[in-house]
Amino acid sequence: MFRLRRSILLGVATACLALTVNAYAKDQLVLAIGGEPEQGFDPLLGWGQYGNPLFQSTLLSRDRDLTPKAELATDWSLSEDRLTWTLTLRDDAYFSDGTPLTAADVAYTFNAAAQAGGRADLSALKEARAIDEVTVELSLNTPRITFIEQLITLGIVPTAERENGYSDAYGRQPLGSGPYQLVEWQEGEQLIVERNPYFYGTPPAFERLVFLFTGEDATLSAAHAGQVDLAALPPALATNLPPQMQRVIMESVDNRGILFPIQPSSGEHAPSGAPIGNDVTADIAIRQAVDLALDRETLVEVALHGYGRPAFGPADGLPWSLNDEAFEAPDIARASELLDAAGWQLNSDGLRYKEGQPARFRLTYPASDTTRQLLAQASAEMVRPLGIEMQPTGRHWDEIQREALHQDAIVFGFGSHSPQEVYYLFHSQHAGFGYYNSGYYANETVDSHLDAAQSAATVEEANQHWQAAQWDGETGYGSRGDVSWAWMVNLEHVYAADACLDVGELGIAPHGHGWPITANLLEWRWSCE
Amino acid sequence: MRPTQPHLYTLGYILLSGSLLALLISSHWWLGTTPAHMQFDARLIPPGGNHWLGTDALGRELWARTLAGLRISFWVGLSAALLGTTIALSLAALSTLSRQMDALVSLLIDTLLSVPHLILLLLIAFALGGGTQAVIIAVALTHWPSLARVLRAELLTLRHAPYIRISRSLGKSRGFILFHHLLPHVLPHCLVGALLLFPHAILHEAALTFLGVGLDPSQPAIGVLLAEAMRYITAGYWWLGVFPGLGLLMMVLCIDRLAFHLRRAL
Repeated sequence: MFRLRRSILLGVATACLALTVNAYAKDQLVLAIGGEPEQGFDPLLGWGQYGNPLFQSTLLSRDRDLTPKAELATDWSLSEDRLTWTLTLRDDAYFSDGTPLTAADVAYTFNAAAQAGGRADLSALKEARAIDEVTVELSLNTPRITFIEQLITLGIVPTAERENGYSDAYGRQPLGSGPYQLVEWQEGEQLIVERNPYFYGTPPAFERLVFLFTGEDATLSAAHAGQVDLAALPPALATNLPPQMQRVIMESVDNRGILFPIQPSSGEHAPSGAPIGNDVTADIAIRQAVDLALDRETLVEVALHGYGRPAFGPADGLPWSLNDEAFEAPDIARASELLDAAGWQLNSDGLRYKEGQPARFRLTYPASDTTRQLLAQASAEMVRPLGIEMQPTGRHWDEIQREALHQDAIVFGFGSHSPQEVYYLFHSQHAGFGYYNSGYYANETVDSHLDAAQSAATVEEANQHWQAAQWDGETGYGSRGDVSWAWMVNLEHVYAADACLDVGELGIAPHGHGWPITANLLEWRWSCE
Repeated sequence: MRPTQPHLYTLGYILLSGSLLALLISSHWWLGTTPAHMQFDARLIPPGGNHWLGTDALGRELWARTLAGLRISFWVGLSAALLGTTIALSLAALSTLSRQMDALVSLLIDTLLSVPHLILLLLIAFALGGGTQAVIIAVALTHWPSLARVLRAELLTLRHAPYIRISRSLGKSRGFILFHHLLPHVLPHCLVGALLLFPHAILHEAALTFLGVGLDPSQPAIGVLLAEAMRYITAGYWWLGVFPGLGLLMMVLCIDRLAFHLRRAL
């Protein structure tokens, strides 16, 4: 009798658990799709620059073909002199506390972001002004073709003057008009968000999202254990998926390459204290030889398991990049000729030397990133026959900033929907600030091309200048010019998704930080009963 | 005289460990660059005919990397064990000099034994910035107290032995007595202590490296191999973790048994 009762109770409990799990899966998604922003969810400090700001709305957004479309702004125009943007806001936008979003909030966001010095480049902004409740005017100091990028990426925050307004703590307690609101953030562990009841658009299908901040191996383990509905996977680990999951591939402009320190070592230090310069990579022959020796097809196979394509520039295939930048690689013979001509003599120890200086330098990568580790190790093997020793060195990001950022070659990744990134990467004005031009690349001609692109009258004219900065027939930042980078691969983003999760039609992802797959979050559906 | 059973075992383990040691040390010459050699067309191949223990994500032979890893672990373990034993012996010897010194050494031993050594190990390795030297120092600094306690007790007992008292009455200095009478007597204990410390040191080296505060990830240390294997093991590449783990287990077991039998024999 006792056994029978126990069996019945067990059956009831199992049924309850199964029902709970089913309801849980339909109403809540558990995502492990990348790390958390160190500075919190504050658009003024950079949140949202690489994806969907989630908690905030932007003035404009992108269509699948990357053309701008209405979001908070229903109408927008640029004056004849290209110095004034006028935008009309929708009148049904509310913050998640129920208060209306007005032109004053937009003006505050832009003015404050310009002061904050975050990732949003608003150096061209003179002033943002609210004309009335729904009209805002953005005045520029100088024409800036890429300014529209800020209208697409900068999430709007509430003005500091209102209740629950912007404060220093905003990044930890964001208030916005996006589809979700923050419920709880346990840093380093998880983020829980719930639907914003005041969201002006179609409500998302899922009431609650849980973002897990796990390492690569833990993410894969969680996916195999069925504990996550969507997991970002390093391509090398995406071969064997658990049976309940499907592989989701997202096209991207996300790339990986080797950023070289361009300046010779002179004992100088950056404001952060990190040493500047590298005597080996400062020699263009070394950079050219490395660039020529990389077998990109093999790198795609080794590091990405085929989920990608060779890279020859920061924006391959995009309108602001040259189409003829690709070259036959590897070309070891040509690389050897260049090194010989530059005075790098091959020694009996298999290493080249020039004036007693061995052709040896560190190739640093973030130790937690499997893809970059494989790229670093494989590319070091590829240049070894040349007599160049690249020493793959895994470091924590903190250590990279403190020690390696300006003196080591680094496996970096970028990739943006905007040519603004090309400006950041190669303009001398950005040398030494953040990760972009951390190699202190500087070329006056390239600077002038980049400046001309920013002040161009049309997108087409700007694209010509962007391309000239890459190679204008005499100089450029690209492979035929200064070879400030040796680009390696363009990635496809690989995810393991629950077979019941329909993520809709995915767009083209930018660089992986910022959860780019959530760009079409409002289209996600649970397809199982 | 016919050797006793324990001596036979000891001899057997010495031979086994000696063979392993010879294999490991000589691998420095005959392995060459094989552990680092990449074969991009033979990546993640399971164990089989051409690749005995399989290959890793860059097509490197796992048998060669495991052997190279064990060699690194061996040297790190040996260095840490010798350093730890030296610290233990030095402090035990100091404790014989005076009551105050003995109290100080005892306090130091008790303090260190009261702290969980894994935490201390991590803190020291982290504070020293990681790397081979940091691991050796961290393991040595956290693993001397047990041996020091044994040696101290032995030396304090010996101090009152008749032949020591005779030596003292003949006017021999403390240093002379220490170096000529006391230390030779405890050297066998040191040898066994070092051998017992050895497997601990190897395991801790692997653990520290696995946790990221140990050896450089570019070295094929066992901890590095195991940490890399963790990323791949759920994707079905079991051999990446199993063989380095088994190799480590075998080496540690072998040295541990050797120490056990040596202690019995002595």
